Amino acid sequence: MRAAYKYDDAVSEGATEAVAQASRLDRLEAEAVYILRELVVFERPALMFSGGKDSAVLLDLALRAFAPQRPPFVLLHIDTGHNYADVIDYRDQRARDTGLELIVRKVEDSIARGSVQLANGASRNAAQAVTLLEAQQELRFDALIGGARRDEDKARAKERVFSHRDAFGSWRPRAQRPELWGLYNRRIAPGEHMRVFPLSNWTEADVWAYIAREDIPLPSLYYTHKRDVVRRDGLLFPVTPITPAGEGDMVECLNVRFRTVGDISCTCPVESFAADAEQVLLETITATASERGATRMDDRVNRAAMERRKLEGYF
Amino acid sequence: MDGAAGQSWAPWSGEQIRFTTAGSVDDGKSTLIGRLLLDADALRRDQAATLGEGDDLDLAALTDGLEAEQAQGITIDVAYRYFATRAASFVIADAPGHEQYTRNMVTAASTSDVAVLVIDASRFEGELKPQTRRHAAIATLMGLNVIVAVNKMDLTGWSEERFEDIRAAFRDAAGVLGLSHVSFVPISAKNGDNVVRRGNPPWWAGPTLIELLETVRPSRARADGALRLPVQTILRDGETRIYAGRVESGAVRAGDSVSVGIGVASRVTAVLKSGRPVTSAEVGASVGLQLADDRDLAIGDVIADAEVRYTREVVADLCWLDGHAWTVGRRYQLRQGSLETQALIAQVQFVRDISDFSERESADLQVNDIARVRVTTREPILADLYSENPATGAFVLFDPDSNQTCAAGMIRETRQ
Repeated sequence: MRAAYKYDDAVSEGATEAVAQASRLDRLEAEAVYILRELVVFERPALMFSGGKDSAVLLDLALRAFAPQRPPFVLLHIDTGHNYADVIDYRDQRARDTGLELIVRKVEDSIARGSVQLANGASRNAAQAVTLLEAQQELRFDALIGGARRDEDKARAKERVFSHRDAFGSWRPRAQRPELWGLYNRRIAPGEHMRVFPLSNWTEADVWAYIAREDIPLPSLYYTHKRDVVRRDGLLFPVTPITPAGEGDMVECLNVRFRTVGDISCTCPVESFAADAEQVLLETITATASERGATRMDDRVNRAAMERRKLEGYF
Repeated sequence: MDGAAGQSWAPWSGEQIRFTTAGSVDDGKSTLIGRLLLDADALRRDQAATLGEGDDLDLAALTDGLEAEQAQGITIDVAYRYFATRAASFVIADAPGHEQYTRNMVTAASTSDVAVLVIDASRFEGELKPQTRRHAAIATLMGLNVIVAVNKMDLTGWSEERFEDIRAAFRDAAGVLGLSHVSFVPISAKNGDNVVRRGNPPWWAGPTLIELLETVRPSRARADGALRLPVQTILRDGETRIYAGRVESGAVRAGDSVSVGIGVASRVTAVLKSGRPVTSAEVGASVGLQLADDRDLAIGDVIADAEVRYTREVVADLCWLDGHAWTVGRRYQLRQGSLETQALIAQVQFVRDISDFSERESADLQVNDIARVRVTTREPILADLYSENPATGAFVLFDPDSNQTCAAGMIRETRQ
């Protein structure tokens, strides 16, 4: 059962029912395209492309926004060095397919420089902020486009679509600019930059519905596959060279899929037989745990974990 | 997939409706949002668990935002929440109730289709609170329809008389303001009556809050309005120029005669979406247009119907948003559609007290002030009235030095 209502069909005559069915995704799509086109006033915008599903949707929308031309963005990935090979292959393939320049900066290099110092065993996920800001300054990006959604987290719920960052790259929730109608404020001073979130008003279900409708390719990790995991604290921990099973752990081989494909050391899969985007959408609608709560270990440390990371310059 | 699974698609297949909520700290607005999210099953297990249970159920805990705000015990900014029912999906722009935060409600209202005002029925003593009047005034100013959620009805013993008194008082206030579309619903956010689930009282046969929300027209943008397409960027397909932008009102189809800037006529030869031709585009669609003659349009120009008018002087209601007061004679950057140009506030006609809509003279504009002003611009702007064309009858002002967004304007009169 694929929703066959492309916007093209919906706007043509005699397709009023299709308009009603497709209206929600069309409103979100048109808004995201509008936001992406707003970026033409920036000199060096970069689209943060990790190979995750949100950034995949973002890239697809960017191609639409500027068709038949190429989007005026480079792709930027902050690599923790702890990514699944499947995701990296997908990232490189999409860059080749779209003809967009892909720039990769590694957390590993920040560690070597000493700008990132991690406690023993700490996740590299939060350290991405440091490497991202280093990349922003090195390459003088004045806009960083991200796939973050407001429904992901309380701190994100207050985020602007055009979110101003000072010369230190930090987010100041008390000094946010009011954002009215679609009349975005794109002004920055030298050394500052803008974070831009075209998917702000999308939910996880919207993202999956759009992936299903537009048939957007994703890394295979997003769909069901067999994987060795260990059960711990109600989560499934993948058994990998970076996260080996501990002594006494019972390793099980289960049918799982990932809901997010971040850093291996802090992203857990969920049990699932969903083999395509429509099946994932059905599971998402009936899910009993919010996306981050179920699968991101680093957010569980503290209710305010995300807010703290944002202040430090995380996406 | 089978039919049963097919039904599960319903929550995302409807419209997306955006609404703002307003109420004072004690009216139970945060509890109402928590109740909407809980009863619409928008919360998943881990989020619901943070609310507690039974008598300790703290629905307001959900909408507390940032750490600093929790410490203060009040919400200080606009936060966005998402939930869906079978009929529609919803975005709540949660505006704070504290009186000094007019700017936040104006901000939240600007992207909303309807406003839900929460009133505490248990402490109603014949008159609306100044804050409620203020919220109603802002909704009127911003052109929003209003749903009044008369809350804490359980504490009044579900008194029909109390509900009718509040309804009458609000209708009086609405009459003074000129607010025409108001609906009312008696609720208990704490217990959930008439929010998502039907409940007390027996005398109420009207819709629940969620039923009222589901029937909201999804956008204030008007498909039957005049065409306005501000050009955001210019794309090229070989030698052909494509003017890219969003249809902010009206509709456009290939063959339409249009005006492309002041007094310049042209014709649309193709409407493109994602680079592919479509027959037409309605309000809200992001598209690209090809024109018959090679008109040299720039970013900021508007593709419009033939009757469009331009002006360098407008009278507008202006909400001052910035902590730095207005500086007389200062040139601000005005944005309308995709156009940015210099603007001067030539005159402050009056500042409105939004609790009673009275007017007073003022020589300055402070944060949260709402004033009637005369604005002149360096380049001509669209002479669109906010009441007729909210998308292009609105503008914002940026401070050219601090880069802050310092005012939101709604055009009320235009001069040639």
